Amino acid sequence: MAEPTPQPTFFQRHEFLIRRLHSLSGLIPVGAYMCVHLMVNASLLNSPASYQKAVYQIHSLGSFLPIVEWGFIFIPILFHAIFGVVIIAGGLPNTGNYPYKANIRYTLQRATGVIAFFFIVYHVFHMHGWFHWDWWLDNVARPLGGARFAPYNAASTLTLAFRGVVIPLVYAIGVTSCVYHLANGIWTMGITWGVWTSPAAQRRATAVCGVFGLLLLAVAFGSWSGPLRTDPEDARAVEQKMYNAKVASGELDPQQAEHKRASGHLGEETAAAATEDSQQSNGGATKSH
Amino acid sequence: MAEPQSKPASIDSFEVRILRQEAPGRASYWERHRVDYEPQMNVISVLQKIAAKATTIDGRSVTPVAWDCNCLEEICGACTMVINGRVRQACSALVDNLLQQEDPNEIRLEPMSKFPVVRDLMVDRSRLFRALEKARAWVPVDGYYELGPGPRVSPEVQEQAYPLSKCMSCGCCLEACPQYTKVELTRLSGETDEEFQQRKRATYDQSFIGAHAISQIMLFNMHPTGKHEAAARLDQLTAPGGIQICGNAQNCVAVCPKEIPLTTSIARAGRATTAHVIKKWFDR
Ligand code: SF4
Ligand code: SF4
Ligand code: FES
Repeated sequence: MAEPTPQPTFFQRHEFLIRRLHSLSGLIPVGAYMCVHLMVNASLLNSPASYQKAVYQIHSLGSFLPIVEWGFIFIPILFHAIFGVVIIAGGLPNTGNYPYKANIRYTLQRATGVIAFFFIVYHVFHMHGWFHWDWWLDNVARPLGGARFAPYNAASTLTLAFRGVVIPLVYAIGVTSCVYHLANGIWTMGITWGVWTSPAAQRRATAVCGVFGLLLLAVAFGSWSGPLRTDPEDARAVEQKMYNAKVASGELDPQQAEHKRASGHLGEETAAAATEDSQQSNGGATKSH
Repeated sequence: MAEPQSKPASIDSFEVRILRQEAPGRASYWERHRVDYEPQMNVISVLQKIAAKATTIDGRSVTPVAWDCNCLEEICGACTMVINGRVRQACSALVDNLLQQEDPNEIRLEPMSKFPVVRDLMVDRSRLFRALEKARAWVPVDGYYELGPGPRVSPEVQEQAYPLSKCMSCGCCLEACPQYTKVELTRLSGETDEEFQQRKRATYDQSFIGAHAISQIMLFNMHPTGKHEAAARLDQLTAPGGIQICGNAQNCVAVCPKEIPLTTSIARAGRATTAHVIKKWFDR
């Protein structure tokens, strides 16, 4: 008998709005957060103390930090990623027959989006272990090489987590994908929202987004090279001094601060890192002021 | 249209590979034909020769290949097909150019991949035309009394509108678009013709409307009388299958034989829908 006429799904009925929110969330807050994140991390190039100071500033949000993290970072990224997958599934890349520049960028936008997503998932595991339950951290995350970052020993733990060839390479690929995805995403966003309409305006926008992408890539590789140029022992000494000062001034409560500090001695961690990677390519001591 | 070239050196015949299909829903298969070279042929005259011979390269006699064409001067869009992997009009695809610039040995012909095949190189483009209905790609002037002369159109608007008016509904922009995916329905047993048509229309209406229709919406929203329906057209652009599906690959503008600034229309439509949705939000 007669097939009922198909009803649009919830997604189809609200797709216009969802796509616009998807487009927006890529810039605000996800893209904006990424810029800030990369710039904060690049401060390690200046000194471990600068970097540690920035991390303390972020953590001064205290119990608001998880709200900010979830509201402005995790949920928007998850939203962007989930609907990104839906969008990718709806397309059929055809650069083989139509190898035009914009079409290649269209395909790259999708490829880098997927790479960026897997990279971010790994990155959050590698640095934070995904969840903060003690049992999970001790029995799952740390044994698998995750949860390496301790906010109150920012530079030293980061440096130790960034050893070897594989991890820096993964980060280089991941960060490059993220930067491309943002820069090209801003360009497509300008068309989607109708900011640049004429071919000439779109060409100018391509140039501006290109320059923006290169600058951000420079910042990204600045923060990438930070841990490669940092001596974890020097960094740890500075961090200890800063920590002691905060405790002395009453700004930090040592009991509550414990889970944000590196566990164990630097020696053990260095040994652990050294067994993971025997080549210890440590670019010498960082300049300190 | 590119200038016809002289005869490629030392060619007296060439091969044509055609992707054939007997009826909707049947499997497709490649068939090879050899065609004697003549100067200044186009793909339609090649197809005429193949139909007259109806014999494959290995001597098998076959049914003549079916294709669509009409104007033979690249203004009706009926003969659109995929030639050497790229969508274009068969009537304006010149054999000398294809052999000299693309492949000296053979020409590959396929039906468009985004529309249901009727037979061989003929496709059913009704989704394309349905999108124009959805877009209200006309100026509403029908009535019971004389409306008098229409309002004047400024030269600036004329300049913007004229290129958009050249669209011949060929479907190249849709074939090349990575976001425009094929929708093919089959009639169910017990379904009447009308029920099937209705189901097709409803399904088409939820699928991507396409660059050609977005551009037509911009054209008619620019027209001083067409403007009266601007809001209804923009509603269609934000409905299921609307402009949001576009992924800015910009293939449409690269393949459009009429060089219509489709991506400019798309960006303008993006701007117009942004404003339209915000306005609706605050007006309700
Ligand atoms: S916009 Fe161009 S490619 Fe698309 S249907 Fe019209 S003429 Fe053909
Ligand atoms: S710009 Fe949009 S409509 Fe044009 S080919 Fe790309 S995705 Fe399709
Ligand atoms: S026959 Fe009309 S465009 Fe080719």
